[in-house]
Amino acid sequence: MPLMETYRQTKADWKRFLEALMKGRELIAPVKRDLVRFERVKDIEDIHLKSMSYFPAKHWFFPEEQTLFRFSKKGFEMPKQKEPRRVFFGLRKCDLNAIKHQDMVFIKQAKDPYYKALRKKSLLLGYHCRTAPSPFCFCESLGLPDFFDLLYYERKDHFVVEVGSAKGKALVKKYGRWFHAEKGLTPEQRRIKNADTLEETDIGRFYDHPGWKEGVNLCLSCGACTALCPTCYCHSIHDEVTVADPGSGERKRQWSSCQLQGFTKVAGGHVFRKDRESRFKHRIYHQLEWFREKNKVPLCTGCGRCIQGCPTRIDWVSMINRMKDDEHRT
Amino acid sequence: MSRAKNPGKPRQPKKLRVGIYGITGCAGCQLSIIFNEDDILDLLDLVDLQAFPFIKEVNADQHFDWVIVEGLVASEQDLATVKKLRRNAKYLVSLGACAATGCVPAYRQFTLKENYEHLLYRKQKRLKDVEPTPIDAHVKVDYYIPGCPPDKKEILGFFTAIARGIEPRGTDNPVCVECRKNGNACLLDQGKPCLGPITAGGCHAVCINGGLECWGCRGPTKDMNLNLMIDILRKKGFDDRFIRDRMRTFAGLKLPTLNRIFHGKG
Ligand code: SF4
Ligand code: SF4
Ligand code: SF4
Ligand code: SF4
Repeated sequence: MPLMETYRQTKADWKRFLEALMKGRELIAPVKRDLVRFERVKDIEDIHLKSMSYFPAKHWFFPEEQTLFRFSKKGFEMPKQKEPRRVFFGLRKCDLNAIKHQDMVFIKQAKDPYYKALRKKSLLLGYHCRTAPSPFCFCESLGLPDFFDLLYYERKDHFVVEVGSAKGKALVKKYGRWFHAEKGLTPEQRRIKNADTLEETDIGRFYDHPGWKEGVNLCLSCGACTALCPTCYCHSIHDEVTVADPGSGERKRQWSSCQLQGFTKVAGGHVFRKDRESRFKHRIYHQLEWFREKNKVPLCTGCGRCIQGCPTRIDWVSMINRMKDDEHRT
Repeated sequence: MSRAKNPGKPRQPKKLRVGIYGITGCAGCQLSIIFNEDDILDLLDLVDLQAFPFIKEVNADQHFDWVIVEGLVASEQDLATVKKLRRNAKYLVSLGACAATGCVPAYRQFTLKENYEHLLYRKQKRLKDVEPTPIDAHVKVDYYIPGCPPDKKEILGFFTAIARGIEPRGTDNPVCVECRKNGNACLLDQGKPCLGPITAGGCHAVCINGGLECWGCRGPTKDMNLNLMIDILRKKGFDDRFIRDRMRTFAGLKLPTLNRIFHGKG
């Protein structure tokens, strides 16, 4: 592996650097209120890095609801892209890779102009997890690659900064006065501390395992897991017409979820995945198996948010680990 | 109903004949229609409002394409009204929680008669009291616009859909779906008795946005996991009586299994 370009930045310089980036850009970073969310930050002191954000940064690229185009008798009109340039700080490895996976879906496969426009204008500054940021995360089990413009390792009075892209390189060049030479980090120093481990990502053979029942019985099909997941990209599309002229209006998309019965409802009213078990398993299997069949990597990045945010804390990671243990015993 | 040939033209050869009626209820749901102040004139252009006794002096009472009814059946007059409206309309729509579930007025079915007897229509000799029930206990309902009160935008969406000849867009997704999209902190997680996971959404989780847990006014989802919801609330320390009464507040009649779960019968 080629050595990462590595720098040292004092905390004071870090602040100056972010403030400089905020000229002409919005800064989006984790802020703690009742929960931690990725929000617009005006004061760098508000950035919260101690624990993982409860909500991912997903909606900044793939909004909960979004207008695709306006239509009328005259034809179609794309919405004007008014979104400013943005710099994200405090994305963790799971968050960064989730963006990478959504890039695969929205940019590579779907060539989605809406997502792409928001992504192109973003700088991704990551934050390394030296201590487990959540009691539920397990990203190391997924073997995630590096994906960032700059990656920050927090030390007592400074940051060590790695450069991960041409965009990152350009930033260091432009703001060189705040970056000082530093020797590259060892693999050990680059490691991430997780709370949990997923023992098996290749779970095809467990599909009919009775172990899933435990989770299914605790599932409300509320969709919290998929809404909080940084990788889930499913959405539904509908028209909103005006009352004055029902032939004109807006076509919109909004988040949806495979956990919902309506998700597989087709014309005529038929529902393909009616029972809770098939819906529950669909999420786990899409995250670990089916996405990988197409894209070579699992969709899941191991953030654990779907477990943390589940009203009954369904711990599917432990469930899979137990299925694997069972296998060794017999 | 036929699909408009050119969806760009609101002026269909024949506008749909619509009637809006209220039976026993607070008229809040009919008000929700009127609260669409900015669009109400366009709405009147869109359909042929044959009847709306709440705001109109002259009203037809038959040959409706669509009839929209607010309120629950609580008197013999109500019963006669819904039956008649049903006969005179191609499609019948239930507007609001009373019409759909019986809502709070139907709660009386879960209490002893002596608790409410003195409140019944005594002096009103012409009003004969019947067991309070949702409309679909008596006639077929083709479409529901739920909620206490219903969402005014959803009402507009309903009208534009029928005017275009397409199926109106309701949802059976639980309230949690919109609640999480809004980025709320989950109240259930904080130990509040939120019924969002078993309640049909479409309300944009308005109560939770304002810090109040969901009481279930839009009625249960078809897909609800009722037993699990009860289990969760028990584990959070709520006693059976509280859970049962909370669940019955808005939709007791649509949760008949509560009887079996809490009283071992029914
Ligand atoms: S958050 Fe939990 S209860 Fe809700 S749908 Fe997901 S797994 Fe089921
Ligand atoms: S499936 Fe769960 S652990 Fe995996 S990325 Fe989504 S929220 Fe995180
Ligand atoms: S199918 Fe389910 S798990 Fe997969 S991306 Fe869609 S919502 Fe997420
Ligand atoms: S607050 Fe209520 S509606 Fe919102 S996610 Fe929690 S349980 Fe669901």
